[in-house]
Amino acid sequence: MTGPDLKNSLALVFDIDQTLPMPLQGSLRCEAGELLALVGPSGAGKTSLMRVLAGLMRPERGRVAVGGELWCDTAQGIFMPAQRRHVGLVFQNYALMPHLDALGNVALSLLHLPHAERIKQARYWLDHVELSADHQARRPSTLSGGQQQRVAVARALAREPKLLLLDEPFSAVDQMNRQGLYRLLADLRRELAIPIVLVTHDLNEARMLADRLAVMDVGQVLQQGTPAHIHNAPRNARVAELVGIQNCFRGEWLGPAAAPGKGMLRWTGPGATAAGAPVLTVRDKGKVPTGQAVNWVIPSDGITLVDTAAQGETDFNAEVVEARHLGEITLATLSLTAVPGARLVLTLSGAQRRWLAAAARVGVRLDPAMVHVMPLRTTSRHR
Amino acid sequence: MDWQALILSLQLAAVTLLVLLPAGLWLGRWLAYTQVAGKSFIEAVVVLPLVLPPTVLGYYLLVSMGGASPLGAWVQQTFGVRLSFNFLGLLIASIIFNIPFLVQPVQRAFEAIPRQLGEAAAVSGLSTWQTFWRVELPLAWPGVLSACVLTFVHTLGEFGVVLMVGGSIPGETKTIAISIYDRVQSFDLAGANQMSLLLLLFSLGAVGASFFASARLAVRR
Repeated sequence: MTGPDLKNSLALVFDIDQTLPMPLQGSLRCEAGELLALVGPSGAGKTSLMRVLAGLMRPERGRVAVGGELWCDTAQGIFMPAQRRHVGLVFQNYALMPHLDALGNVALSLLHLPHAERIKQARYWLDHVELSADHQARRPSTLSGGQQQRVAVARALAREPKLLLLDEPFSAVDQMNRQGLYRLLADLRRELAIPIVLVTHDLNEARMLADRLAVMDVGQVLQQGTPAHIHNAPRNARVAELVGIQNCFRGEWLGPAAAPGKGMLRWTGPGATAAGAPVLTVRDKGKVPTGQAVNWVIPSDGITLVDTAAQGETDFNAEVVEARHLGEITLATLSLTAVPGARLVLTLSGAQRRWLAAAARVGVRLDPAMVHVMPLRTTSRHR
Repeated sequence: MDWQALILSLQLAAVTLLVLLPAGLWLGRWLAYTQVAGKSFIEAVVVLPLVLPPTVLGYYLLVSMGGASPLGAWVQQTFGVRLSFNFLGLLIASIIFNIPFLVQPVQRAFEAIPRQLGEAAAVSGLSTWQTFWRVELPLAWPGVLSACVLTFVHTLGEFGVVLMVGGSIPGETKTIAISIYDRVQSFDLAGANQMSLLLLLFSLGAVGASFFASARLAVRR
């Protein structure tokens, strides 16, 4: 995190450890041209983290460096106020000045320029976000949510930021206008060679837009990585839950299997005795001690329903507890005969969903290569 | 019609406003944003002139600024001016008496500005001073305007404090309110009536105009 790396790149490097006034812990890195999404439930500290990055909040202990500039380092007593950081921040409800028209709002970021140049630049940025000349002369209250957002983005860009922060930017925009704004954001990413941090509670949005995710909960950055990586290998059960992995189970790690690179996992349900519980042979990364209680997940891609007649010996007997047919998809909950209390949740589309009904019996095949095992958290990660 | 008294009152109101406005803007804005311990106490002190009988306030001002008081004696010795029974004394009393009329509406006006706008201004690179001029003041303007009108009109009509601190010296401390009282005392009801009506109409007009302007400004947001 330190050294020449920090000085030479345009990346955002960030490290924070505070307990008051609210806990906020973690370290992040976002390269220039990369979009990092901070995801997590409300109250996870996403907005607070963003405020620290913008210079609107001074962290108890922490360090923020962007583009080789040290913006904050509490150890050295450095704190650059928001006015001096070149940061573009798009607020959740845009925070546009109600007494200024769209042009005036953008021109406010350009006060260092003479008046004529300021207006010219403001116009340039508003044209850039495709706001018509007519709308540029209007006050925010007479613009739609999507138009207001474009003004807010133009204002942030006019600052010529070294870091672009977007705080739930799509929450006040209806679904139809979102598509246009997603495109705008994608275009911006291509042309701006700066780190972009997006705060969102919408996982689909995060997966669609971000190169990398940082999952936050109760002020802590729990995990960061590509959307695919986090989805396939969540660090713990909480991360799995936060990124919407529904099939998370308990188990016991039995140690290496006969085959190289494989290990044995006993699937224990809430009410199961160890004796009758099935044992799966899954990938072994050599990280889990034998006998350790674990959580494990399997993404829906790793679950196949098979006809009871075609069931193999490693497949499981299951019964449909509930099948909700919602238009093009079906949400199904299955119980497993071998693991009392365990519930498998599936979202199905296509022909096979049609014969799913409550009490129907099906076979379930799990792809052991997609099973991801996580040691149970026994101690708190708080430093 | 006592034109001299009317002009004196207008002068007093104008100078009071001129002195009090910058200080009141600063204090009102500070009270709107600060989270300092003892904020409630400061707010209570600010409101005090509003709830005290004018004679009580006038009495304390007289006691603390009169020629016999240490402050009054010191000012007279150092600067050669008195702080009571002259225009200066009246002005100081008027300023103190008007603090709540100016500060409170200003404070409310600044409090009504969403916090995020100040943050957005900071992120846009605006200094505190630029934010004040370009964001806060335009948004707080209706409140500031009505505070100014209230202060001005209130000074025109003030009686008790003026009488206690200023007495009734023509051209020096005899304001229109005092003049009206004098006329009534000397049974010149016609003169009292004329001046009272003028004051009534002026006050009504000023307050009405300020409300109208505030409403217009508020709609334009």
